[in-house]
Amino acid sequence: MTPSWKYWLIGGLVVAVLAAAIYFPILRRRVKRAAKLQQQSEEQARRELTQPIPINPSDPRVKAKVFWVSDAIDSTLAPVTVELPLSNDPVLRSKQVLNTLLAGPVDAELRTLPPDASLLAFYLLPDGTAIADFSEALATSIPSGIVSEQLAVNSITRTLEANVPQVQRLKILIHGQEVETLAGHLDLAGTFVVNTKVAQEPAKPTPTPSGTDQPAAAAQTPAAGPGTLTATRTLGKLGQSESRP
Amino acid sequence: MLDPAHGGTDPGARGTGGIRESEIVLDFAVQVRRTLELQGFQVVQTRQGNENPSFDDRSATTNAQRGAVFVTLHISSTGLPGTARVYVNSDLPPVANAGGLIPWDRAQAPFLGLSKAFGDLVQGFLAQRFKGSPDTAQSASVRQLRTTAAPAIAVEVSSVTVEDRADLDRMAPGVADAIARGTAAFKPSYVVPSAPGALP
Repeated sequence: MTPSWKYWLIGGLVVAVLAAAIYFPILRRRVKRAAKLQQQSEEQARRELTQPIPINPSDPRVKAKVFWVSDAIDSTLAPVTVELPLSNDPVLRSKQVLNTLLAGPVDAELRTLPPDASLLAFYLLPDGTAIADFSEALATSIPSGIVSEQLAVNSITRTLEANVPQVQRLKILIHGQEVETLAGHLDLAGTFVVNTKVAQEPAKPTPTPSGTDQPAAAAQTPAAGPGTLTATRTLGKLGQSESRP
Repeated sequence: MLDPAHGGTDPGARGTGGIRESEIVLDFAVQVRRTLELQGFQVVQTRQGNENPSFDDRSATTNAQRGAVFVTLHISSTGLPGTARVYVNSDLPPVANAGGLIPWDRAQAPFLGLSKAFGDLVQGFLAQRFKGSPDTAQSASVRQLRTTAAPAIAVEVSSVTVEDRADLDRMAPGVADAIARGTAAFKPSYVVPSAPGALP
């Protein structure tokens, strides 16, 4: 190799290094921007899917009770009074209080549901059985364990019980599907008793197992009248078990 | 019956330090089994290694035993580290006359009272050993318990958030001792309930 070729080669390499030094930060910025855009579009898609509940300013402002954890260590629930414009329609009202529950308290440590979880749909059957369909994040982002999963469901049922008297029982779906457990422990096959008094009426009260933070409850399945629309009939396996979380 | 929960592709709760619930409960099960066998109990496990039988498979193994008690072992993601809680299944609809058969999906229903008595005993011994633990068993809708036709409890130890796995390992003998003492104390009062509609 002659000396002139050496100079050309070295010169070429220097130019390539300089070009890379200039282009690399630009490329990095572009990659970061693309990642951010993707994140925003996912968030946008999620927001569009969940469709924010319209708040009607003419709705009366009501002191709603929302149940979050009272103490991060103690694992018990406590009601927090939040003043909200709440609809008189039980479905809209349920969506409003559940979205408030999902939004979480001021202290993030006291929340019961994962911050990325959302309510996809809410239905109320004529017999008082409600069906709440949550996004997959409710199951995938919640800390796995009996205590954390039970607290999550308790916070949902107790918030509904305190604010929407029409809801008597609750079935939880994850992304439109029936699932066996919330995150490996808590049984989601049946319905949860929400309105303790109504749920107890048709059945003989039974001894209540000791609980930590929930009112005493006897979760008896109300007898289905002939021809009535019941959870058992409409949802197949729903009536197989019913429990008070 | 001893049930180390999770296993296989299901690691259960995971701690930041790489602690996996499925591994810890298997180690706990070894200690509980040894302690129970020393007291003369016969012990069957729902899994011996890193496999993951279904909830129904675990219940089927249990329901094939007569006069058994069932303990499923868990490690939580939350709660005060160093404490342990016992859970019994929440109330289930009563089992109507089913021609001597117990409906599979609520096989636990006839055993709820016995499960509560058993759970309170084990929880009492755990509370003596681990300060900050409740005094009595609590109720929860634990999937594994619902299809189990035996006095059945879930024992959940807090938690996978400990920095050092040794903190959990140190709890194993205490948990094993409480379960063994609770089982021994429960045994005299355990009369297997007859299935609804069964002939006497």
